[in-house]
Amino acid sequence: MQKKLTVVAIIMTLVLVVAAGCGRPENKTAGQTLKNELVLAIAGEPQAGFDPTTGWGRYGSPLFQSTLLKRDADLNIINDLATGYEVSPDGLVWAVSLRADVRFSDGKPLTAHDVAYTFNTAAQSGAVIDLTNMKEVLAVNEHTVKFTLESPQSTFVNSLIATGIVPKHAHGKGYAENPIGSGPFKFVQWDKGQQLIVEANPEYHGARPYFERITFLFLNEDAAFAAARAGKADVVAIPPAFSRQEVAGMRLISLQSVDNRGIMFPFVKAGNKTADGRPLGNDVTADLAIRKAINTAIDRQALVDGVLEGHGTPAYTVSDGLPWWNPDTVIKDADLNKARQILAEGDWQDSNGDGILEKGDLKAQFSLLYPAADQTRQSLAIVVADMVRPLGIAISVEGKSWDEIKTMMHANAVLFGWGSHNPLEMYNLYSSKTRGVGWFNTGFYSNAVVDEHLERALATPNEKEALAYWRKAQWDGQTGLSARGDAPWAWLVNLNHLYLVRENLDIGRQKIQPHGHGWPITANIAEWRWQN
Amino acid sequence: MLGSAVKSLGWKILRAITLPIAVCVFSFLLISHSPIDPIQAYVAADSMLVGPEQRERIAEYWGLHKPPLERLVNWGSAVLQGDLGTSMIFRRPVVDVIKERFLASIALMGAAWVLSGLFGFILGVIAGMNQGSWLDRLIKWYCYTLASTPSFWLGLIMLNVFAVWLAWFPVGLGVPAGVLQEEVTFYDRLRHLVLPAITLSILGVANVALHTRQKLIEVMASDYVLFAKARGERGFLLFWRHGLRNIALPAVTLQFASFSELFGGAVLAERVFSYPGLGQAIVEAALRGDVPLLLGIVIVSALFVFTGNLIADIICRVVDPRIREGEAV
Repeated sequence: MQKKLTVVAIIMTLVLVVAAGCGRPENKTAGQTLKNELVLAIAGEPQAGFDPTTGWGRYGSPLFQSTLLKRDADLNIINDLATGYEVSPDGLVWAVSLRADVRFSDGKPLTAHDVAYTFNTAAQSGAVIDLTNMKEVLAVNEHTVKFTLESPQSTFVNSLIATGIVPKHAHGKGYAENPIGSGPFKFVQWDKGQQLIVEANPEYHGARPYFERITFLFLNEDAAFAAARAGKADVVAIPPAFSRQEVAGMRLISLQSVDNRGIMFPFVKAGNKTADGRPLGNDVTADLAIRKAINTAIDRQALVDGVLEGHGTPAYTVSDGLPWWNPDTVIKDADLNKARQILAEGDWQDSNGDGILEKGDLKAQFSLLYPAADQTRQSLAIVVADMVRPLGIAISVEGKSWDEIKTMMHANAVLFGWGSHNPLEMYNLYSSKTRGVGWFNTGFYSNAVVDEHLERALATPNEKEALAYWRKAQWDGQTGLSARGDAPWAWLVNLNHLYLVRENLDIGRQKIQPHGHGWPITANIAEWRWQN
Repeated sequence: MLGSAVKSLGWKILRAITLPIAVCVFSFLLISHSPIDPIQAYVAADSMLVGPEQRERIAEYWGLHKPPLERLVNWGSAVLQGDLGTSMIFRRPVVDVIKERFLASIALMGAAWVLSGLFGFILGVIAGMNQGSWLDRLIKWYCYTLASTPSFWLGLIMLNVFAVWLAWFPVGLGVPAGVLQEEVTFYDRLRHLVLPAITLSILGVANVALHTRQKLIEVMASDYVLFAKARGERGFLLFWRHGLRNIALPAVTLQFASFSELFGGAVLAERVFSYPGLGQAIVEAALRGDVPLLLGIVIVSALFVFTGNLIADIICRVVDPRIREGEAV
């Protein structure tokens, strides 16, 4: 084979030389000297362009636009365009005051009218921005905006964090291809399907970015990795499979994330159907002892080391490490004896000696579904099944399409993956109100106390106070939605996001990354610099 | 004779109209029965944050809540008025997306097409004229190897050898990274075209070469070649006088009929080299349930392949007097 390839290569070389003449040596090699340009191959192309009202820039930096608020490296909420905000005691009216000195990159001032216009347009765009709870938004004066909500929602603050403000005077057809905003960078050129070129925005109200020009290449995984090896890119996102190969001049950065994977257990007994007529419930996973025993028996660190090759962290909730996470949810796992004890106390016994536990007529066996195309989830599912087998719990692992999973997910355990910088996700996964709504609470989990905490977290006007309720919902000392409480899920791992970064490039302190590999790393891109 | 030509032309036009319609209806049926939920695909990473009400709004905005038949009819009547609709993932008129992508693809496919035709024909002729020699065996082996090589794999090999290892060519894209549009030279564009074009042409080379070789061997075994040889004609002169005309026709037909393979191959070559052509767009459209864009590209590609076959037919008529006279060949 080697010989054949060599011959093919020789012939192809001849063809190439004829076709293109001798290739001239590449003189635009990236990163050899301390230039003030960067080339990144980190993310997929936002095909719809760079318009925040249709969903651009909700992860990482919107580059061209700035947002009212943003999160710092510890995910605390800090001001960007806003100088502060006040929420009425009933949680319905949010008044945001704006800086007076901000200008768009075309020199015109940014006012409250631009903010109101942005949110009104976004609400009507039929895109991924969910503003259905926003009743209206008004510019009270040049520097104050008032949002009125349909019902109190502390997580509304995330809409203020994620939505870049567009200029009313320059927004319209073609904006997405030629954006104007008040962000750290201004738009230079977008070669569709290929690259985006941006330059530092001299009008930017924050600290001027270190790099004058940044090019984003839209390459697939293989081409991006090739670009790293050829020295053509300074930061490259890579899948774990490429992490073992050393690339000269680049270092591997493994960023912690809440891009998590976990097992959702149907929480109710079988017998009923959902509103759509799909089978609902599972007698085995409806048993608390089974769910707790599995949570206790799993060796999460072994999953990280074995399946993720060390590029991950053990997961205990959907929001590990985020401000609304409750650290008390961390349990001691990989403990088979404790798990056996839990099962025995739950009246599970292997009375017929076949190696599988029984409780009355019920055998401790159920199916665990995973999307067949996802290798990581397949490995996780298989290893977990092996880990709990010694307990006498038989999990049969089945790969299905998402379409099949959708019809089976209320009656079978499913290996899902979530992870967001918005606690609304926790509400949607665990509230009684979202039982059977789309992909939200598919296991029909319900706990009145947890519901109360969740509702209060949402209704509290103050985001900081809400944090306490989010934490209580996970574990309040008596009950909760984590493995210490009802254990409706067995969270397994958080995937790390891997990047190859030029050796002397400092990409600052990164926050815990959300679900989604690529754009989130750019959140602090204005701070990136060469190390001395 | 004129009558038959007109009649056949009429049939061709009729087919040119019915073919895209049939292909569209079929594609629409496939995608509306595919497991892809367009709203879920659209929301993707935000699915935990986009509530059912917003999903309703998305469906309403894009007309996804209507029954499939109604959507197809609406789309069809808009197309008849020249409106291909708006792409969901690009949020731009489908016509614009296709125009822009097609121009990039045309350069790639055109280059690959010429390369494969030229080299394939030459290799085929050399092999055919020297049947049984080591040269023939080498060319045959080369063609079989190429024909059995998946083009994306070959693309990856090329990428690693010529872009990473030898660093002769760029690793992808159609223009150099970080260079402004007005500074991009024709030479830059050419350099970026080379690897994808060669990758794409390779399958075609094998096909044309092997067919040409086979046909030439048949011709060489004929009585008139035997007679010519008896008169002392040999080598290039023999080929020029008696071979070329007889093998040109199948090669030309094959080359024009290969438009469909070209299009299919372009999808893979563009993926590997991140070359911004139609191939990339159709993959995105299909994976994310962007029906207007998918159907738009389907129409264009159907017409493209049809045109290739049509040209092949016309050239046959022009080149070969026997077909023109309505004889069977």
